[in-house]
Amino acid sequence: MHREEKSDMNDPAKILVVDDEPQLTRVLRTGLKSRGYDVRAAADGLAGFEAFSDWHPDLVITDLAMPNVDGLELCRKLRAVSQVPIIVLSAKGEEKTKVEALDIGADDFVTKPFGIDELLARVRASLRRANAPSMNETAQTTLDSGDFHVDLESREITVRGNPIHLTPKEFELLVYFIKHAGKVLTHRTLLAAVWGGNYVEQNEYLRVFVGNLRKKIEVDPATPHYILTEPWIGYRFDPGETIS
Amino acid sequence: MQRSMLDHKWAGYVVAGLSVFALTLVLKIVGTHVNAATVSLTLLLNVLFIATRWGSVPALFTSILAMLCFNFFFLPPLGTFTIAATDNWVALLAFLVTAVTAGQLSARAKKRAEEAETGKLEIERLYAELRDAFERASHAEALRQSEKLKSALLDAVTHDLRTPLTSIKASITTLLDEARGRVNGEPPVSLDAESKLEMMEIIDEESDRLSRFISGLIELARIEAGELHLRRRWGAVEEIISTALSRAEPITKQYRIAVEVERELPGVRVDEHAVSEVVYTLIDNAAKYSDKGSTIRITAQRADGEQVQMAVEDEGRGIPVTLREQVFDKFFRATRDGDVSQQPTGTGMGLAIAKGIVEAHEGRIWIESGTRGKGTRVVFMLPIGDEDVG
Repeated sequence: MHREEKSDMNDPAKILVVDDEPQLTRVLRTGLKSRGYDVRAAADGLAGFEAFSDWHPDLVITDLAMPNVDGLELCRKLRAVSQVPIIVLSAKGEEKTKVEALDIGADDFVTKPFGIDELLARVRASLRRANAPSMNETAQTTLDSGDFHVDLESREITVRGNPIHLTPKEFELLVYFIKHAGKVLTHRTLLAAVWGGNYVEQNEYLRVFVGNLRKKIEVDPATPHYILTEPWIGYRFDPGETIS
Repeated sequence: MQRSMLDHKWAGYVVAGLSVFALTLVLKIVGTHVNAATVSLTLLLNVLFIATRWGSVPALFTSILAMLCFNFFFLPPLGTFTIAATDNWVALLAFLVTAVTAGQLSARAKKRAEEAETGKLEIERLYAELRDAFERASHAEALRQSEKLKSALLDAVTHDLRTPLTSIKASITTLLDEARGRVNGEPPVSLDAESKLEMMEIIDEESDRLSRFISGLIELARIEAGELHLRRRWGAVEEIISTALSRAEPITKQYRIAVEVERELPGVRVDEHAVSEVVYTLIDNAAKYSDKGSTIRITAQRADGEQVQMAVEDEGRGIPVTLREQVFDKFFRATRDGDVSQQPTGTGMGLAIAKGIVEAHEGRIWIESGTRGKGTRVVFMLPIGDEDVG
């Protein structure tokens, strides 16, 4: 199934694992290889960046706390040259660093200790997003994602076939969510994208608008299925059916 | 109670009156043997006494009263307030001026002394307040530091517990997926025998790592709580070293080991197991932080003052002077917390435990540069031990 993500090629997806714990890189190498991925490992950010430059992996999994060049610095360096999906391995208590990594451009995170299935699910989702045709570039006037259909010109949105009425900001926020479905979006990222750079600290705006959006799109706003909260971090949008 | 009564101003006047009359009476009784100068000096002394005890106004009252008595009882014609001879007028005037001046001066001196005393008390009070404030501030600072330290320690502990746990969890879930076959419509996982073995090895090794870490924590907690009970008995240094070396064999296979023990080294009265643990920790560290193929040198010799000095030296990169104290702090790792590198890291407790054991033996442990111009030399000194004890 994972090979579908690389449907345009016959080669397995290439994953670079960067972690200073040799035991963990051994496990991940074997675990990912057993699922048919091509895996290479590096012990720190510096070696990781070198491996990336030589090998051009389809996805990077990196730890945050590492000697020499750490995970944050690696994310920064990678984002300067590439849009490769990055999954960050972090520990509970590293929320601040994790948010920073996501702000820099990491796509997702997995909290240690994790089961291999959790990591694999994130790997699949990230690869799928990376291989999906870009919604921005197709410049079409409609967006279709899971339960959502958006007409960008007439600014009409239907959920599960039902039209919903949104304020302009709610519309922008939902469209941003749909365009970045599956990806963890930090409060900062969302505020900057919808309200602009001066509002990145105004988490309460976001809470209010997400609350309103949930009332309009969720079947049960108290147990949301589309706009999922990532505690202390931000939100993750699941458009329903087609992705999950 | 009496003291407080005497402190009143009116008590000064009463005492002044009584004392002047009493002195006059006494002087009158021994009258034939005293001249006017003796009388005036005696009365002056009384003025000084009243002035120092009750201040300037009672002193002035005493002076006038004394002057009147002096005039009435001792200056001819006696029994009148008139004075016959002119020089007696001068004497009386001189007496009055002297009495008033001396009285005022001593009263002022008393006042100054009192002010100085009050000032001193005030300074002492301020000093005490300042000291209390300072103590409170440093206590708060110490508390803040201790909280910071606690949180740093907690981070270190959780990192060290979580890291092996992560490898174990990832390995076991990979093996489980393979054992369960197809999950959630996923294709079955293909793990060859070698991969399965590797996963199991990792679980085994990481469980050992967790177990070592927890044992270290327990040992450290015992040392810190002062519950390290040493079982001291006489033993040979060679034996302690060889026990440590045989335990360290798996980690020293790829190193050259040199042991130099001074001939006729006396036996030591120590907990052999604990000291051997110290030597093992030092050998383990030496192997961790130096290149394979290099030499690890273990030495033991007699030192001054009935002590034995043991040292483990490697040919690694050495430890910067600034970190040589810190490496004995628990959870401190030179490679991770200081000069970062890609070298393997330990539990960060070995040296802290070693220090605890050495100090429990009333010994001392420290770090020097290697004797051959490179590497690290960890030295510890133990008292040979007392024959009579235990």
